[in-house]
Amino acid sequence: MINIQDIRDTAKDMLAKGEVRAVIGYRRGSRGMPAEPAFITNPEQAEELVWDPTCFHNLSLYLVEDRKFLAHLNKTSDAPIAIIAKGCDARSIVVLLQEHYFKREDVYIIGVSCEGTGVVDERKLAPHLNGFQATKAVFDGDDFVFTTAEGEKRLPAREVMADRCLECRNPFPKENNVVFGEDRTGRELAEPFAALARFEAQGTGERWDFWSHHFDRCIRCFACRSVCPMCYCDECVVDSITFPVTPATTAEEKANRIRWIERSATRSENITYLMTRAMHLAGRCTDCGECERACPVNVPIRLLNNKMEREAREKFGFEPGASVGGPSLVASFLDSDPGDFIR
Amino acid sequence: MSDNIYLPQLARVASIKEEVAGERSIKTFRVEPVDGELFEHQCGQCAMLSIFGRGESMISIASSPLIREYKQFSIMRVGRVSSAFHELEVGDVVGIRGPYGNNFPIDDWRGKNLIFIGGGCGLAPIWPVITTAVAQRDNFKNITVFYGGRSPRDIMYRAELDKLRDAADVHLSVDKAEEGWDSYCGFVPANVMDKAPSPSNAIAITCGPPIMIKFVIQNLRQIGFTDEQIYTTIENKMKCGVGKCGRCNVGKDYVCVKGPVYSWAELKDLPEEY
Amino acid sequence: MEKILDKKQVDAWVAALTDWEVHAPVLEDGIWAYQPVSGAVRLNHPNTKQSPKGFAFPQREIFFSFEQIKGEPPKLTQIMPQAARHAVFGVRPCDGRGVPRMDKVFTDHVDDPYYNARRKNVAYVGLACNKPPSPNCFCLSVGGSPVSTDGLDVQLTDMGDRYFVKAVTETGKTMMAAASSLFAEPSAADKKQLKQIHADAVAHPQRKINDPDGAPAKLEASFDSPLWEEMARACIGCGICTFLCPTCHCFDINDEVQNKAPLKGQRVRTWDNCQFPDFTMHSSGHNPRENTAARLRQRVNHKFQYFHKNFGMHQCTGCGRCVSECPVGIDIVTVVNKVTENVG
Repeated sequence: MINIQDIRDTAKDMLAKGEVRAVIGYRRGSRGMPAEPAFITNPEQAEELVWDPTCFHNLSLYLVEDRKFLAHLNKTSDAPIAIIAKGCDARSIVVLLQEHYFKREDVYIIGVSCEGTGVVDERKLAPHLNGFQATKAVFDGDDFVFTTAEGEKRLPAREVMADRCLECRNPFPKENNVVFGEDRTGRELAEPFAALARFEAQGTGERWDFWSHHFDRCIRCFACRSVCPMCYCDECVVDSITFPVTPATTAEEKANRIRWIERSATRSENITYLMTRAMHLAGRCTDCGECERACPVNVPIRLLNNKMEREAREKFGFEPGASVGGPSLVASFLDSDPGDFIR
Repeated sequence: MSDNIYLPQLARVASIKEEVAGERSIKTFRVEPVDGELFEHQCGQCAMLSIFGRGESMISIASSPLIREYKQFSIMRVGRVSSAFHELEVGDVVGIRGPYGNNFPIDDWRGKNLIFIGGGCGLAPIWPVITTAVAQRDNFKNITVFYGGRSPRDIMYRAELDKLRDAADVHLSVDKAEEGWDSYCGFVPANVMDKAPSPSNAIAITCGPPIMIKFVIQNLRQIGFTDEQIYTTIENKMKCGVGKCGRCNVGKDYVCVKGPVYSWAELKDLPEEY
Repeated sequence: MEKILDKKQVDAWVAALTDWEVHAPVLEDGIWAYQPVSGAVRLNHPNTKQSPKGFAFPQREIFFSFEQIKGEPPKLTQIMPQAARHAVFGVRPCDGRGVPRMDKVFTDHVDDPYYNARRKNVAYVGLACNKPPSPNCFCLSVGGSPVSTDGLDVQLTDMGDRYFVKAVTETGKTMMAAASSLFAEPSAADKKQLKQIHADAVAHPQRKINDPDGAPAKLEASFDSPLWEEMARACIGCGICTFLCPTCHCFDINDEVQNKAPLKGQRVRTWDNCQFPDFTMHSSGHNPRENTAARLRQRVNHKFQYFHKNFGMHQCTGCGRCVSECPVGIDIVTVVNKVTENVG
């Protein structure tokens, strides 16, 4: 069991000594159960840090934001930034390091093991609570304990855990500067890619109907892209709402800003957006599941990413975010790579 | 005009004049209605111009309301729609809807000294006021025009400014000294400071890059202009022109409706989000 | 007009509304969404994921089509919505109160012909909230109430196996008259029960904005507060808060080209979002609201200061969607409370 006080003390100590600029972690949110991202810059604030089953956010997103912010100010980092990272989050950081988004010494990774469990899926939890809302969630062995107006409710974690946690094979953050919790790698709670296998067992027509239905439902709020640490491009290929115009940007560049899709949230545009995003995550997505969690209309985005992940695994034996020194999928070539798909 | 506020009227490009060449080129377009008449406008108002297939852009009307046959727009090539404008040829047809926004209260300024201060393409939005004042010369006392560009090649309305000297004091400037340039060298706010126009019975009207406007206003106040004597016109990104799309919202105002013309007395109370 | 309707008769009432296309909340893909229904209306939803604003202000609206053969003037064809009459069942009071706020935006200064064409064909059949459907409800803090009829044509109140049905507008009366035999006169006991249910609903605890009346002035005074940056730190700049909001109305207008030569396309309005980075960016690259702090401040101020100054009411109706659905916990109730708490 992780004692949160140990993490707080570590954070407090590093901040007090000036070893890190800030600690990105989790604190109590103001709207009931879910934790929220916290940016701790002074030692006293470290007491606000929490670790519970609602720490679902992949905070490595904020390492990307931090670097963009520094770049905007034309500043370089004077001290590393510390971050609390679960197994999946740490793998995201590894991908960012492989892609040289920032340097290893710029980040201090406070690893937290998901031990026997993972994080809760609020959508799975709701039916268990008799219409009540949970205000608090804590780990207790292989259970989660929720507090509602009715009292405490103990549930086996696997019943309300996020699918990606059930299928997670690496709940222990291997890349870390310090790590809390027990390594329980190898605890497989569910067969990986099970949902994908079920989906693929269907015929083409059924699969097209399924995705047409979901592509039609996307409202293009871009939460999936905004919440994804891998979607860091200044200019996304599908549109340019984040296109950085500077005084040096020419009229041609501005006039020809990429616009492969229209703003209309219609099927053709949504397909282009969601499929392109999935392709660009091949070998990079570490299945943190944030895109699917953030989606307000429950588009099963993870299923797309899973497909790419499994392709990478089966065709190239590739595991995204496995090690900093390791190759990246699309930027490396091995003689043993399959070539039978090229005709 | 149709009662559909979003449906543009068709207008034909009657003439195109290149004012400034190069990367930040400016061209002046005269447009005439394809059918019937174009809307009437007031000094300082804007119109939404369309190139079908490329989109719409809000542009200040640079011609005097006294001219009814055509409307004139000076457009700097900066982005998607303005670049498309720069590819137009005489005879091409564009869309136009408007007029949008409030106007300079020129009728309230009768009997006053008018001081215009423009920079870069910021001369265009105040040009209708200048030309209207000149056309009604007897209604006003002294008319003074300060205008500057980065270099002599960035001075727009060159010939018109020369002609203006009959009716007004014209003080041109360029940012940096250059051979063959015998007027003022330095930024527009400095030129204003150098000539120090009297605030007595005067109204100052300024438009240009945001940073220029800021220092012009600072300097005018130093010379003794009150907030009520200083007018400017601001731009914000706009899509609808009728106070609904939210793009140009600054504080409680939609610039496309309550603006673009503000006295400094009004503008200083708004958040600095323009 | 006040009547009693047995819940078993709701489907018959819906079936009698032959002049209307009836929509009601349906649970599909794990979310409640308004869907066309033919009978079987079960109003057991909390609140829908998306507000009903799309009935009058759809996410995509075609303004006109254009066609042009090179060398000839373009041909424009105005496309007005030919929408059926929509009766929207199960609208919560917060979303009902969103309707007059949208009406103000789209009819103030000049009329928006597309909005008006749709709006006149929508009727809202509301459902009072006997208890708050979301833990993040705060309608009472913004001048609303769980039993408000503002913006509705008919108000239903759940009384166990029956609804107390109140016509709010003439349209509402017409809708009830379409099946008058289904409705019974309420007894004195029914009216007493309604009164009690409504009193209990209003007494139910909700989340609270501490000083909603003082918010406009206090927010104005807090424009330069460092809290904006602190509270926007986690913001990822997505469109959830504004797209789900019952009163957010910002939009974009673009030309969608189907064919380049000869040119053929449509000018289209789509929802837009003040939290997107390029929303206010000028072509020059100058951006008046260039970071998440400025953009969060804009969203909050628009709801609680600017709109209030223009129309004398908060633009927020307290539905709590932006709070519940934000993936990173940005909470407008907390934001308003924190920013305004130490201001005179």
